[in-house]
Amino acid sequence: MKKIFQSRIVSEFGTLLVLLLLFAYFTVATWRVIHPVTDEAAREVAGKISSQNSSARVLIAVRGGGGEQPFAEELKASLEQAGCHVIAVESGSPADFSATLQKLGEQNQTVHFIAATFEASANGVLRPEPGKAGDHTLPGLQQRHPSLAGATVVVPESYESSQFLTRGNVLNIANHISYTAIIAIGMTLVIITAGIDLSVGSLMAFAAVTTAWMIEHWGGAADATAIGMICCCVGGLGLCGLFGAFSGVMITAFRIPAFICTLGVMMIARGLAHTIAPRENISVDAAGFDWLGSQSTLFGVPNPVMLMILLFIGAHILMTRTTLGRYIYAVGGNAEAARLSGVPVKWVLIFVYALCGLLAGVAGIINASLFGNGNPRFGEGEELQVIAAVVVGGTSLAGGEGRILGTLIGALIIAVIYSGMNQTGVGEHMQKVVFGLLILAAVLLDQLKKRGLKQTT
Amino acid sequence: MIMKQFIQLTYAVLVSTLISCGGGGENAEVETPVIGYTTKDLSNPFFNIIGDTLKAEATKHGYEVIVVDGGDRAETQDKQIDDFISRKVKAIVVSPCDSKSVAASIRKANKAGIPVFTVDLACTDETAEIVSHVETDNYGGGKLAGDAMVKAIGTVGGKVLILHLATADSCVQRVTGFTEVIEAHNAKNGSAKIVISETLPGGGNQQDSKKSTAAFVQGNKDLRAIFAINDPSALGAYAALKQAGMEGGVTIVGFDGEKAGKQAIKDGKIFADPIQYPDEMARITMDSILKYIDGRKPERVIKIPAKLYYKEDADKDPELK
Repeated sequence: MKKIFQSRIVSEFGTLLVLLLLFAYFTVATWRVIHPVTDEAAREVAGKISSQNSSARVLIAVRGGGGEQPFAEELKASLEQAGCHVIAVESGSPADFSATLQKLGEQNQTVHFIAATFEASANGVLRPEPGKAGDHTLPGLQQRHPSLAGATVVVPESYESSQFLTRGNVLNIANHISYTAIIAIGMTLVIITAGIDLSVGSLMAFAAVTTAWMIEHWGGAADATAIGMICCCVGGLGLCGLFGAFSGVMITAFRIPAFICTLGVMMIARGLAHTIAPRENISVDAAGFDWLGSQSTLFGVPNPVMLMILLFIGAHILMTRTTLGRYIYAVGGNAEAARLSGVPVKWVLIFVYALCGLLAGVAGIINASLFGNGNPRFGEGEELQVIAAVVVGGTSLAGGEGRILGTLIGALIIAVIYSGMNQTGVGEHMQKVVFGLLILAAVLLDQLKKRGLKQTT
Repeated sequence: MIMKQFIQLTYAVLVSTLISCGGGGENAEVETPVIGYTTKDLSNPFFNIIGDTLKAEATKHGYEVIVVDGGDRAETQDKQIDDFISRKVKAIVVSPCDSKSVAASIRKANKAGIPVFTVDLACTDETAEIVSHVETDNYGGGKLAGDAMVKAIGTVGGKVLILHLATADSCVQRVTGFTEVIEAHNAKNGSAKIVISETLPGGGNQQDSKKSTAAFVQGNKDLRAIFAINDPSALGAYAALKQAGMEGGVTIVGFDGEKAGKQAIKDGKIFADPIQYPDEMARITMDSILKYIDGRKPERVIKIPAKLYYKEDADKDPELK
């Protein structure tokens, strides 16, 4: 017994190790020059300018969109504190900046420094491009407008680092996999009972479409209140749960193989989703509907990631600390033995499929919230991604064993590989090859582990 | 036992290293500025031409283009745009998989201050900021398709099937233009009416279009013609007709004029195509990007007229020799 336990620890660390190695690899592969836009960088630029001219007239240029706005504000505050004068903060397109600069020149306003983020300085008039003159270069403007003649461009010091191992990117990766991972919780339970659920991708679409439909028809469309929207979401989730329970009943009561039964439900749900949304999309324009899918509430962690973490904690407790969890393992290990020892096998199976359907519904609503519509094409092929995450996470398709946290790691491995390959410029087709190899490697690992156990126990 | 565990661990390391090598990109030592292009669907040669031309044009100006396949899924495209943002690309070019859903992804790029350009397919949500959009004059092209249809069956009339792709705004416009010409024809010719008897989803790809057509011709042996909103769709329709033994009696009008489509016109499988110029679209997109980076304002919408292409044109086309 002890040996098996030890081996489990090792295999768990095995997948974790793979994940860490992947992180390490992509960290190195994406090592490049970083141009900071932090508050610290802003203070550095302010210090550089004020040390040269403590009453300098400074024009600040950052990129539009708001991402570099905190940098601009910090820079402005630091400069003014040091006694410099900030003429303006320009945060538009390169064309806007060029127009601003030209206007300052025409008004004969002296500009000593142009403090810019690297990205802002790489476009438009600030772009250093030798051998190019005219209105669209700084030297050109300086020739025409003497008040700009002394203007020097100052950008934050760059340094070399990885673009991959940043807080933003890690959250990004977690966000990408969140809905797949949430379904994978349900799928892990199903696979532990030696079953399979192919309907999850379709149920995603079904949940998204029904929720969007209910908000449009019953929830008050664009004026829907938060409570109204929550009720509609619960409605969509409930329907998915019912679909899952239906699969469970068909499988237990009529002994239809799970593969066939959920294949049927997969087509039914997809077909219904397309029937409910015949014009392909049902828009949800209600304010606040995007809260779940595309906002962050706590510590800047995107809400889907938060939800994913909570659900994983819940599922981990369910599987390790409760009777129901032990029942699920028992059913997967040997259904007949479980039944004889008093486990309500049928109810356990119905619960597992209902939960899987419900979680697929959660994923569908996350997507609807993210994209602002219920699209009957959501989740096409998602079932395979989910099964892959579960398998890579070390759950055996034969049933009876598997760990919830393993599935989380499996899902993260897939997300890291995809995101990393996208960022290092690996072609789409090669990505599929790598993904296939990954699944094979995971199963192979599982087999080797089993063989090792057989020989030693 | 310990030895076994050690072997397992080593194995895990080995596998992951192998995987890493398989996915190994070149180390970014030289800082070439990067432009990201996420296509609608790389199984359609049309988007390959845009991608390849963008790459070639960008190289001339010292940029690198990464082309990724949206796989016709809004979710995939969303992730790709996120990855472009993480990578801090210079500009993002998108051919949306879903004209509406893509807005959520584009807003993220807007927030990061990365300029977004759309090509071929537009984003229909106004809250997403697009610097410039290049497309074929799809409405005009649809009218040309209508003209070709009238030319083919205008004297006899009959049932027409449309293979649609309603998620793509461009295709909606094509069908609108087409329908208008057909209605104008019907208003003048009471005796030889062209009846649009059904509009079915063809997915813009060969497989789905074949399925839709095959199902439709089962109960409609008197079908006279098909208007397919692109070439893969037209070729799918042809495959279904051939299976049903009806390929001789049904006229197909496609759209695009990609190589396989032109070849099919030459072989007489498709009657005519309003052709698009994906290479030109890519060149204009690259031009807009350069203008933006240069600090000038590119035009917000640029429309490239389509042109009708018949068998006579295909016979003379050097590309098909």
